[in-house]
Amino acid sequence: MSTDIVIAQDLWEEDEDAVITTWLASDGASVDAGDTVAEIMVQKIQHDIVAPASGTLKIVKEEDDTVSKGDVIGNVS
Amino acid sequence: MSDVAQKERKLTIARAMAEAVSQEMRTDERVFVMGEDVGPLGGVFGNTRGLFDEFGASRVRDTPISETAFIGAAVGAAADGMRPVVELMFVDFFGVCMDAIYNLAAKNSYFSGGHVPVPMVLMTSTGGGYSDAGQHSQCLHGTFAHLPGMKVVAPSNAYDAKGLMIAAIRDQNPVVFMFHKALQGMGWLGTEKGAINHVPEEAYTVEIGKAKVVREGKDVTVVGITSGVHHGLKAADILAEKGVSAEVLDLRSLVPLDRESILRSVAKTGRLIVVDEDYHSYGMSGEIIATVAEQGVKLHCAPQRVAYPDIPIPFSRPMEQWALPNAEKIVNSYELMTR
Repeated sequence: MSTDIVIAQDLWEEDEDAVITTWLASDGASVDAGDTVAEIMVQKIQHDIVAPASGTLKIVKEEDDTVSKGDVIGNVS
Repeated sequence: MSDVAQKERKLTIARAMAEAVSQEMRTDERVFVMGEDVGPLGGVFGNTRGLFDEFGASRVRDTPISETAFIGAAVGAAADGMRPVVELMFVDFFGVCMDAIYNLAAKNSYFSGGHVPVPMVLMTSTGGGYSDAGQHSQCLHGTFAHLPGMKVVAPSNAYDAKGLMIAAIRDQNPVVFMFHKALQGMGWLGTEKGAINHVPEEAYTVEIGKAKVVREGKDVTVVGITSGVHHGLKAADILAEKGVSAEVLDLRSLVPLDRESILRSVAKTGRLIVVDEDYHSYGMSGEIIATVAEQGVKLHCAPQRVAYPDIPIPFSRPMEQWALPNAEKIVNSYELMTR
């Protein structure tokens, strides 16, 4: 079973896109639910993205990629 | 099955610095943090995130915009038995607080016969590359390393940042902790993936004054610090495709300078390139080449340096990018010296 890592709709208020600044876990790494796996930035403000489940991380969107609310940036299976 | 012992724990330098400070604050009540925007904002470079929530406003103190006042206050607090970690937001602002740093912090221990040490950490951001112009982009490695009485460290990755920060806080001397903005993992300042690496959760130290060979090689030694290490590693990849084996040495500390590691590497390779984002003249690059020359290390060809030209840093993006060190310039230096 795979759980998507989704950018939450209410993570920030403005109607703007974000940039993935850092993946704190590697593609294929083992992660636990609740681990901070990525940081994204909107207007110089950073937001943490946490793993929604425990398992093996698959990265879909890379560092420096632009992402919107609701986007899937990876999954855990 | 996942192996708990081997679970990867990657941090940015910003997170590693905050983790180091928080761990020392938990075990030593003398440690406190002071500076502009270090409180609820967590530092403009992310390196004090989470500290205000855990330790509160008395131990994580937002200051007015007066480096003269609050860095002077940190020196006094350290002389009086506290262990302040104080932030000079941009190293470029050193002018208004330099008397406190090099006339008071650096010298008090000597003037008092060792009776009044000043165990403070001055953390300060360095480096450019994102068009912030001449008063927010300098490295000034040589400016601080030149003055006796202070240790100076500058990490290239998160593992070293945590270990050097803990070592700096525990050190009885004033330690200047220089962190390069482009290595912080802050996005808008540039992203250097190589700076984000595995960091153990428990507290540990990296010895101040010890360089590290981050890539072994036999044909040329590339010596660098902070951003220069990453340029050196990228240059080593390019050189490897040309059949040249480059050794990359990360100094990690400017003071004390690990001359032994430099000499050992250069004695092996017989060629030396020094990479420094600080200005070309009267600085780290000259000091390292002088160290090798003084010891009479036999070189196959004249040493080279890839450093910042002796000009105030331009705002214009093409002009700034032209001036910065990079991997291509290091490769060109190698080709020039072996022509």
